[in-house]
Order: sequence, then C-alpha cells, then structure tokens
Amino acid sequence: MIRKVISGNEAVALGVKLARVGVTGIYPITPQTTIIEKLAEMRAKGEIETEIVRVESEHSAMAATFGAALGGVRAFTATASQGLLYMHEMIWWVAGSRVPVVMVVGTRAVGAPWNIWNEHTDFTSERDSGWIMAFASNPQEALDLTLQAFRISEDERVFLPMMVGMDGFILSHTKTNVLIPDQEQVDDFLLPRRQPYVIDPEDPIGMGNIFPPEGYMRLRESIDLALRNSEDIIKEIGREYNKKINPLGDYSTLNVSYKLEDADYAIVLMGAWAGDAMEAVDTLREKGIKIGMLRIRYLRPWSEKEIRNALKDKRAVLVLDRSTSFGRGGGPLYVEVKSTISDIVPQIKGVVSGLGGVTVNKSELLYIFNKFVEGLKDDVIWYYPKEVGKIELRTPRDIE
Amino acid sequence: MSLGLREILNKHNGILSGTSACPGCPENMAMRMLGMGLGKDVVLVVVAGCSSVIQGNAPYNAYNFPTVNVAFAAGPATAAGLARAYKQRGKNVTVVVWAGDGGSADIGFASLSGAAERNDNILYLTVDNEAYMNSGGQRSGSTPFGAITTTTPEGKKENKKNLPLLMIAHNVPYVATASVGYPHDYIEKLKKAKQVEGFKYVHVLTPDPYGWLFDPSKTPEVAKLAVQTCYWPLFEYYNGKLSISSESLHCLDRRTRRPIRDFLSAQGRFKRLTEDQIKILEQYIDNVWEKLKSMLDNQ
Repeated sequence: MIRKVISGNEAVALGVKLARVGVTGIYPITPQTTIIEKLAEMRAKGEIETEIVRVESEHSAMAATFGAALGGVRAFTATASQGLLYMHEMIWWVAGSRVPVVMVVGTRAVGAPWNIWNEHTDFTSERDSGWIMAFASNPQEALDLTLQAFRISEDERVFLPMMVGMDGFILSHTKTNVLIPDQEQVDDFLLPRRQPYVIDPEDPIGMGNIFPPEGYMRLRESIDLALRNSEDIIKEIGREYNKKINPLGDYSTLNVSYKLEDADYAIVLMGAWAGDAMEAVDTLREKGIKIGMLRIRYLRPWSEKEIRNALKDKRAVLVLDRSTSFGRGGGPLYVEVKSTISDIVPQIKGVVSGLGGVTVNKSELLYIFNKFVEGLKDDVIWYYPKEVGKIELRTPRDIE
Repeated sequence: MSLGLREILNKHNGILSGTSACPGCPENMAMRMLGMGLGKDVVLVVVAGCSSVIQGNAPYNAYNFPTVNVAFAAGPATAAGLARAYKQRGKNVTVVVWAGDGGSADIGFASLSGAAERNDNILYLTVDNEAYMNSGGQRSGSTPFGAITTTTPEGKKENKKNLPLLMIAHNVPYVATASVGYPHDYIEKLKKAKQVEGFKYVHVLTPDPYGWLFDPSKTPEVAKLAVQTCYWPLFEYYNGKLSISSESLHCLDRRTRRPIRDFLSAQGRFKRLTEDQIKILEQYIDNVWEKLKSMLDNQ
C-alpha cells in the first residue's frame, strides 16, 4: 500500500486498474473526463489490458459497457450531468437485465441553463432506476467505494449494477492524500467476475425479450428485493474491505454518524460538504450546542433501520440537499428522511443549497446550523450564501 | 460456391417454430436465412422493432441464436461491448445487430455511424420494411417518396434516405444490399460478410404485406419486383470495390429496366401517386443508379 496525493478522478481510474476491468466504454463529459483520459493513458502505456471502446455518446457508453458485461467481463464507465441523463434509458435497461456493471458519476448541475459546476441533482434523479447508489465524500472514499462496487454488484445475492457518486470538481479535481492498495491486496478482496448469466453461443439464451405482465412484475419485485437485501451484504463486504485493504476506513455501516449519540440536533447530508459540516458541528459543540451529523453514503439501498436508529431521539433534524425535486418543496434527501423519521422526530426541516456550484463552506454551514438551532420557521428554505437579486422571468438574462 | 436448395435446408435455421410474426412476414424469412448464412457461433443483438416481438414471449425465444434485446439506439454499442468482451476472453463469436429501418436510419443512426467509424468487429443488418411497422406503419427516414403511411396519409414528400450508400461513405470493409426475394444472393453475402474482419453492413429489403398493402402470400414476389424494376439495387462493396449483383445487372442500362409501375402497382401504398409523382420517384431511382455507375467507372 502506498500513499499518494491524487485527485478523485485519478483515484477512480486507479480503482478501475486495480479491479482489472475487462472493458470500459468511454465518453468525455465534465467533470468526469480525466477519469477516462487517465484510463486511455494507462492503456497506451500498457499498464492495463482493459479494452477501451471510445464511443460517440453516453447512451452508447452505457450500451457498450452493458454489452461487455453480458459478454462475461468486468465492465466500467463514468459520466456526469447531461451525460447521465442521456444514459438514462440504458441505466434502466442494465438494472432490468440484472447484470453487474460499475459506474462513477462526477456530479454536476443539469441544464438549462448551462452550468458545469457541482450539485447532486443528476445523481439523485436516478434513484428509482434499480442501481445500488453510493456517494463518496473524499477521494479516498471514491477509490474505496469503486473497488467495493465491483464486489457488491458481482455478489450473487445482489447481481445489480452500482454507481458511485462524487462531487464534481470538489472531489473530482481536488488532490488529497489517498491510500492506494497493492494489486495483491485487491486481488485478495475482489473475487473473480461472477454474473447471473453470460450471453455465449455455448449456452444460447434470450435476454430482454417481451415478458408477460406478471413475469415482468415479478422481475421488478426481484430488483426491489435484491436492493433491499443488499444492505447486509454491503456491510459484510465493507467489513472485509476494512480488514483486507483500508484499516483506516469505516465501511461497516452504510451511512456515517458523527457526534450523534448524545445530540439533540442532527444534520443529514450527502457528499463532500460533510467535511465542512463536521467542522461546523465541532464549533457549535464548543459552544455547548449538542449537535451531530449523519452522512448518507448509500442513497440506495436506503437503510431505514440505520437512519431511524441514528436519528430516533433527536429534538430536530435538518436535511441539507444539494439537489432538487421540483414541486415538492424540498430536495430528495429531505423527502426521504422525512418519510423515514416523521413519526419519531418532532421537527424536520430542509435546506436546499449549493446548487450549480454555489459555494457553501464552513462559515455558511455554521450560519445555517445556527439558524436551525434557533428554530427555522419554514419547513424548507432555499439558502443563498450571499445576496442574490431577483431574476425577471421575462428577461432571464437581466439579474438585478 | 453457391448453395443448392437441399444444402440450404440442411443449414442452421435462424428461426424456430412458434414466432409471433404476422403471416407473410419478410423478417421471419430474413432471420431464417441469417442462420443459413452464418451458421452457429453467432450472438444476436436485437434492437426495438418488429423483431423484438417476432421472437415471442419470454421465457421462450423463437430465434435460434443467443439473443440480447436492447433499447432502440443501443444496438451497435452493445454489440461493440460484446465483441470486445469476446476478444478479451479469446472467443470467436460473430456479433450481429439486427435492426429495422427506423432503428438504423433514424433513432439509432448516431450509434450505427459510431460503430462503423470505429470499425468495430460486428455485422450490422438492417431489415428494411420502409416504415415503423411495429408501431403501426408510420413514416421513417427510409420510407420512399409518395408512400402512404399512417403519419403521411397524403404520401411521403421526401425521398428515401439511402443507408447503404451512407455506409459506403463510412469506408467500412463490407457493405451489401439484399432482398428476401433472392435468398441465395442474401445467404452468399452473409457468408462472405462473416469472413470479413471489422465492420460489416448488410441491408435487406423486407416488403411488409400490412404496411405496403399487398396480400401476405405475395411477399417474395414483391421483394423480387423491387429488384427487377431496379427500385432496390443489389450490390456488394468489398475492399473499396463496388460490384453489382447479377440480379441487378440489367439495371445499369435504363432500356433493360422493368418499368417501375410493375412494382408500384403490386402494392397499395403508392395508389395516390400521380403521373408527375411517379416521375419524381423514377428520377430518384435514376440518380441512385447514376451514382452506382459513377462509382463503378471510377474504380
């Protein structure tokens, strides 16, 4: 194992290398691009034997990855934003086919208007597609979760595709210290490729043709069951990962608690701003405010038990969303958390912020948390760190 | 070496009994011949279309090949992924994409073009019934001028998109056209395509009794008429060289062509064509042949 200063995207590319991926369907989109560039570079240097298919669109990237997985090899792709939405059809097709595939999403806003910066809406909009969905909070976790994703999706009790999200630019392009395991360690952790079936002339089967209604519905139910049952398997594989690869990581739970045990107030969020939020929590703790944080690491499966346990005796819970669910008055996390704990927590508030690259650092989070502890009047607010003028709809380009 | 009838019938049959095809379905015929041309060690990628239905309800499959069904625009890339996986595993498998004219000329064209440009080692088949027949017969980019469809009840106002010529422009190793009216020619072309390394494209005309409005017993006859009247040229493009297939050689000279009216009057979809419009269609066919002739002259 070595320690190296690398970006989130490099960490993912190294994960793909260490996982000995057979085929990668690649297409560039900001901020994911440097993952696939790194893979192409490693291939050119002969450092990996991965077959790279340089496709003409993200739809084809997912299709090529799907085809490769059906053909019996480990398959990977990466995307972001508009690209993820362009893949949407194939994302459902892959899950419906119950074939293990791994994808990393460098999260980013979705147009219109154009905005290349970070938010989680692209990622969260795939939450009903039948994929296992993890979200990293630093480059180390991006690498760790990528490696675990292959193991989880290829577990015969799961056999579902898995995507790993990481905040665009904030993680994808920022370099930090990352522990990189040795090939032997990864070989010991990752079992040889397993999948429910292989499309092969030796065993001629048909896949994906018309299913009668009841059969179709059964298949839908099997995806739901496999996803919900994957919770224990994720924890089991996480514990093995801690033991065999990263003793400093903590993957024995799906989600991560911070100073929650004795807390009266709890913050719930997902992704990179967890680091700043922990610092803000520390500052408030120094002032005697009993506050803690729950970081959602797995959006799917949604660990109802774990989340209820973590938040059960809190006076109030604040959910931070870096994504939108229009017309619902809150982000997807807010809606999920509310439906999970509304019977056991008297007050659940939501904040939507950080969209399209709006900077939310420790000081902004401190402001939000303070307001929350004082008692937010509204159930959900859209928080802007600085004064922003109204946008006239008739002339959307004129910002006061 | 060409095959005799007895020999053909002993070959691998691409289709099994119990398909959900309509009576007189040309795609059924084309699939049967696919097996005769390619034999075993084939994996089929079927994109959305009539062929996703013809194979029947899961868990059964009327295609005598391992089959992957995919969404409309995903065929060529899925096949590219499969082909790369087999390469990694050191297996010799012919990966075939089977798509209709809608899947090829319209919604799936970008991925078709991408796979051709990358010269992926796959065989792409377009089964062209000249409209979106699976959804009830709407116009496609491949519908000819003047044809009545459910979305062009007044007759289509634009000419057919010429996919085979577009594929030749992609500079791929092998492009061929075929018609289910001429099984020997089609099967020979499939056999040849199987031997070629890289991207292979075969475009088969599959006249649809229900969309074209003719009696289901007449499918092979109409498929032959399309070739005899030079509406549908049969040719092969291999290693940068074009050759006109023997069934179409008479079309090189306008005087020896059978009148296009024989093809038009055998079906109902052209019944609203006026004399002037027939001239436009004839002009289009002339243009296609002029292009082919100039390619022959320049090689």
